[in-house]
Formats: sequence, C-alpha cells, structure tokens
Amino acid sequence: MSSPARVDGLALSEHSEPKGPERAQRVEGFEARGLTKRYGAFLALDHVDFQIRRREILGYLGPNGSGKSTTVNTVVGLIEPSAGSLWLDGRHMLEDPVAYKRRIGYVPEEPHLYTHMTAVEYLTLIGRLRGLTESVLIEKVPAFLQLLSLWDSRYTTMAAYSKGMRQRVLLAAALLHNPDLLVLDEPFSGLDVPAGLLFRTLLRLFASEGHMVLFSTHRFDMVEQLCSRVVILSAGRIVAEHDVASLRDPQSPSLEDVFVRSTGQEDFTPLARKILTLVQQT
Amino acid sequence: MIARLTFHFFRAMFDFGILSEAGADSFRHMMLGAVGGVIAFGFLVTRILVGRYQMLAALPTAAPYHRALLGDDMLMIGLPMLLVAFVTLLVSQSLFPDERDFRILGPLPVARSTVFATKLAGLLLFTGLVIVIAHASLVPWLLVSSANHWLDHSVLLRIIGWAVASVSASLFAVFAVAALVGVSRLTLSRAHLHALDALTRSGLFAALVLCIPLVYQIAAVTSFLLTGSLWLVLVPPAWFVGLQRTLVGSTTPVLFRLAVMAVGSLVAVASITVGVYLLLFRHFERLVLQPVNRSDTTDLDMATRTISIRRTIASNSSWATPAFRAIAAFTMTTFVRSQLHQSVLVGLSVFGLGIAFNSILGASPRSLARAPYWTPFAFMFASGLAMRSSLVLPLQHRANWIFKVTEDEATRRDQFRAVDWLVTAWVAGVPAVWALLVWWLATGGPSPIAALVVALIGLVSVHAVLSDWRRIPFTCSYLPGKRFIFYSLTVGILALGAFAAIGAGLVRGAQSSSTSAIVIVAVLSGAAWMLRRRRLTMWSRAPLMFEDEFPDQPLRLEL
Repeated sequence: MSSPARVDGLALSEHSEPKGPERAQRVEGFEARGLTKRYGAFLALDHVDFQIRRREILGYLGPNGSGKSTTVNTVVGLIEPSAGSLWLDGRHMLEDPVAYKRRIGYVPEEPHLYTHMTAVEYLTLIGRLRGLTESVLIEKVPAFLQLLSLWDSRYTTMAAYSKGMRQRVLLAAALLHNPDLLVLDEPFSGLDVPAGLLFRTLLRLFASEGHMVLFSTHRFDMVEQLCSRVVILSAGRIVAEHDVASLRDPQSPSLEDVFVRSTGQEDFTPLARKILTLVQQT
Repeated sequence: MIARLTFHFFRAMFDFGILSEAGADSFRHMMLGAVGGVIAFGFLVTRILVGRYQMLAALPTAAPYHRALLGDDMLMIGLPMLLVAFVTLLVSQSLFPDERDFRILGPLPVARSTVFATKLAGLLLFTGLVIVIAHASLVPWLLVSSANHWLDHSVLLRIIGWAVASVSASLFAVFAVAALVGVSRLTLSRAHLHALDALTRSGLFAALVLCIPLVYQIAAVTSFLLTGSLWLVLVPPAWFVGLQRTLVGSTTPVLFRLAVMAVGSLVAVASITVGVYLLLFRHFERLVLQPVNRSDTTDLDMATRTISIRRTIASNSSWATPAFRAIAAFTMTTFVRSQLHQSVLVGLSVFGLGIAFNSILGASPRSLARAPYWTPFAFMFASGLAMRSSLVLPLQHRANWIFKVTEDEATRRDQFRAVDWLVTAWVAGVPAVWALLVWWLATGGPSPIAALVVALIGLVSVHAVLSDWRRIPFTCSYLPGKRFIFYSLTVGILALGAFAAIGAGLVRGAQSSSTSAIVIVAVLSGAAWMLRRRRLTMWSRAPLMFEDEFPDQPLRLEL
C-alpha cells in the first residue's frame, strides 16, 4: 500500500527535492544522482550517478544482475528509488512526476504486451494513455505499421506475432508521443538483421534531432556502433565511464577489455574447459 | 517419455495462467476450504437422506419409494455430468494440441503421434480424476437410497448399474464439450478464431450455468419419465437413467429408448472428438500453424485499408477524452476476446437469469405474478457480482507496465469513469431492459415506472460494485479466497434475498401512487447522484492499484 509520501508511484525518499543553489547547478539533459535501490538487505543500486546530454546515446553496460534493469525501471518510474534523484532538463522528477513520465519513451527487455489485441488497438491504447488526440493517432498509427513492416499483420492479434514483431510494436509505442528521453532495455533481442539495421539508424537519427537515449545492454558491438558514451555497472555501482570514440583508438584498450577489467571478470577458460568435459561425458 | 508427457499435459490442466505465485497459493487454500465445506455439507445431506428413506421404507406401498428413487437417480447422474462438463470447459484451452505445444515439443525428439496420444491421455486422466471424485462423493447417497426393502434388485447390481451409467454420462459430457470446442476450432474463420472461439465457449458456459438452477426442476422431469414425454429427448441425464434402468433389468419401453439414445449419443460425441484429433494430427501445419494473412484474401488498395484502420481508431465515441476511450476500448476488447473474462461475466450473470427462469417454471399463478417484481433484482445482483469478478481477474499481469508508466493524476478520473460507465450499463441498463420485457410478458404491456425504479436501483448498486475500486480492469494481480468461501456464499444468499425484497418493495411502492412514485424516484436519483460524485472524487485522489492484498485485519464473522 502506498505511503502518504508517495506521489504517483515515486517515493519522496531520503533525497527529497533539492532547492536553491543545488537546483541551479543542474544542466540541460537527463541526470541521475545518487540513485539507490534496496530490496531488504540487498543493495541493487548503490549511489549511481550518470548524465545523458541532448543528442547523446548513452550505453549502459553491465553483466547480468549488475542493476541495469533496476536502473531502467527506476528511470521510467516503474519502481521507487530508495534514495537519490532524477532530473530532466533541470527539473526534479518529483516536481511533476506526470510531466516527467510524459517525456519518456520505454522499450522493455521482454515484449510484455496485451497479446489479445491487434497492433492497431495496442498502439491506439498507448496513444490515448499518452493523451494524443484522435487526429494524431489516425495519422501516426497506420503510418508506423506500414513503416515498421507490420501492416500485413494489422488484423492479427499479437499472440501470433514473433518476438521481433512485438519488439517493433513496442518501439512504435515508445516513439508514438515523440519523447525527449528514450529508454531501451535490450531492444535488439529477437530482431532480424534488416530490422536491427533500421533500429540502429533510427536511433542515431532520433538522437541527432536533439533527443536523448539510454541504451541498456550487454552487447559490446551495439554499444561501440551506437553510443557516444558508455557507463559500466557492476554489483549495483558504476565502475567505469568512457567516451566510446576514445575506445576505438587502436592504442587504447577495447571496450571488452575495459569491461572485463572494471567488472572483475575472471578468466573463463578453466570454466569453459570444465563445461566441455561435462558435455563429453557419456 | 510417454508417462512424463502425459503427466506434463495433466499438470497443465491446472494452470489457468492468470494467477501469480501468491494467487495460486491462495487459490489452493480456497479450494481446500471449499472441499472441507462440501464434506461438512455432505454429512448434513446424508443425515437428511437417511431420515427421508426411513420414512419411505415405513410406507405401506413401494410406489413413493420408486418415484423418489427415480428422481434421486436423475440427480446422481445429472450432478456429476454438470460438474464434469464445467471442469472440461474450464480446461478447454488445453483439450487439443496447439501451437505452443508444437513450438516447445517440435524441436525435441518426440514423434507428433506421441504428442497427440499423450495430450489425449492427459485429458482423460484429468477428467477421469474429476469423474472419480464426483462419483466417490455420491456413494453415501447411493448406499442410503439402496438400503431399502422396497428395492426390487440387489444393492450390488444397483451400484454397478449406476456406476456404468453415470460414468458414461460424465464421459458423454467430456466428449460433448471436446467435440463442440474441436469442431468450432476446425470450422471457424482463423482470422477471427480468437474472438469466435471465446464466444463459443462462453455460450457453452452460459448454457451450463443456466442448467444449475434447473436442477431443482428434476421432480418435474421425473414425472416425464413416468409418462414417457417427448421432452426427455432434451434432458441428457434422463437418457442415462434409461441406461441404468436397462442395465439393472427394471426397464420400460420408454426407458429402453432412452438407453439407446444414451449409447448412441456417447458413441457419436466420442467419434467426433477422435475425428477432430485425427484431423488435427494429419493437417496440423495447415489448420494451426499456417499464419493468417488477411492481405492475401482482401483486395483493397492501401487507401481503403488506411480508412478501415482510421475507423477502428475513431470507432469509440468521439465525445469522450482519450483516457476514457483508452480504458473503454481496452475493457471491451478484452471482454470480446478473452474467454475467461467473458465466461465469468456472462456465466455469472446468466445464473441470475437461471434463478428467474427456475422460479417461473412450474410456478403457481400467485408466485408467477410476483416474478416481475423481484426477478430483475436477482439478475441485477448476479450481474453486479459477475462484472466485479470479471474485472478483477488479471489478464497478462506483466504487460501492465504500460499503465504504470502512463499513470496520470489528471486523467485517472476519466479512466475510472470509463469503468463506471461500463458497469452502469451492465448493472443498471440490462436489468432495466429485462424489467420492461418481463412486465410486458406478465401484464401484456410495459411498466415504465417499474423499469425506471429498477434502473435507479441499478445506479445505486453500481456504488456497491465499485465502492473500493482503484484498478484499471484486468491489470491488478488477484488473490482469491480472501474470505472463507462458505461464509461468502451465506452472506451472498442473504444479501440477494434482502436486495430482491427491498427492490420489489420499492417497485410496488412506486406503482401504488403517483406521489410515492415521485418520492421514490427522487430519493433514488439523489442517492445515485451523490454516490457517483463520491466515487469520482475518491478516484481523482487515489493512486492506481496493481498488486492485490489480503485484508490487514482478520475476518470478523459477526455471528
């Protein structure tokens, strides 16, 4: 049950809304400051700080269980942070949580959507929940379906869609209201090669138009191809932050090297050998 | 492998796919409580039956005993049939191999014939378990009714005759449901299969629910059995009573004809079911896996198609806000396509109609004259319960994130208003139409004042349905069994009686004079307006609820 301090799904936590000078220091763009999330004794996020500037795609990299999805869920307002604050263009999220959420688009890791609906019905539902007018929806929904190669399946309920088709519906749903910040949690899983290429190009163009993208993944190649900066997370803490362009320099360590070093990954050869031995047992 | 797959399909029958782990745990507790209640109730019924059969044994002639036995045999065959038909319908989504089975088992080294055989075996195992439980619970009744000196054959022969006939009847119920579901799956348009399949199953569910109150009319059917009425053709349990009597050797030409019908119909529905399995087995790719591509079958140009999509988007009333339209369209789409939600809504509402029909069938002229007063309220009560029950059942709990990320204080009131509007239409609108119809049938003309009072009481009742409502329909997790099921049943029956009595009293009062009609209409209108205003105010303040909770206080029985 919500506590009296709860505002629209977001907690007034240890770090309540800053005032005066602290507020004035905030820059344009998105900023997470001291983001912390506890589940009982388990610390899922430990004072995480990062910024996303306009026209920037920020890669958010980390092994499984490092806190990537917790960060994403906190940024989009699905879970309450135990502490910390989120800022969008210098405005604290708690100033107007609804206005904050209106400016965010989100593509979740798993394509959880209402599969008894058709793509048209689902996108219309999302558009209405986002407050779009009927005239906008009438223009945008069929156009999205055609551009994302979903037109031929428009009468079919999404129960019959492949994972890639569902991902495309979710991307359309996330972009329908032209958000300032697009939050993507492993958006390329299930997409075929042409759709993957289209998504990458679209994200680059979207960011270049002045939008921001938070791109959570564990794929180095995607980060190297798409992102301008990368934040590496391990055990709920940020352990490295790099300019991706600098990592492309042959003299510098690769992103994979940086990741392995900063997240303390062991040498997997002995483990791989053990698995192979197990496979070969009869 | 075969045993493991059969057990896998058997276990899948218990998975409705809508409950969280906590919800499933709560459901198990609720079912255990229900079984305990049924056992206690069974002892009470057995005690009553013992007294009844002692009284029949003491009578000087055998005729009353034989007549009572015929009625009880009808019930002892009809009740398991009804229960088994319900359970089979509940698991009807798992009756035949589907795309999910193919996707999961296809890559494994399992022959398709094994998948089909084990699916059928799983179905038979599951329904067999239900049949055994249903019949075992009736054994005390069978023994009490058999231990009588007027019985004209041995007790053992009677037990065998009943077991064969009743199990055949239950198998008939299983195969009849499977045949109907299978044939509809094979014949319905694949483009609309989801919606049409849901409608078919809801129709079946409603028909079965309508049969429950008619069980009380079994005495009338017994007299048909004695006279050989043609109506018996429409009563499947009577066919199997004929089979039972034929098996024990105490048959008549009427009962023998019924026995032939029983055997013939069982063979027919079993053959259809096996036929559906065979057809699916041979043409699985074409019938189940081949994608539906509407663009291949429709010859429309892009512009026309775009117009049809535009109509889909703009089809809901354009006067409402986007938030209102979003929730109204989402709720209506779910009711049209989700078999579970549609069945609960239609099935429970039809139960109210069943109570009404049951009271009208064979009623005296005096009680028939009272029916228009109270039957709309029985229907309204059941409709309210049905609407609430169907709205709380979750659909795809993990898809509700979209409502969380778009929750908006400014539009929340509009979202709830859509729910309010739908509940009002179902709980006040439909019973008011029913009242108009029933008054017209009873008196030869409509009674607008009765319909108006029914509608206004419906508007007030909406508050009872939605008083603590804080959810978008189908998006909150569900924990069944918050109260002991028999407590809820008792309170429900008492509330139904009180509600129908008060409603009927208000209709009578409104019909008695113009002054009282004006007063009643004014008071009800005022109450409905105030309660609605209160709801809307509360909804604009309260955050949405996505996780169901157990009450934080223990239940007080207040006996």
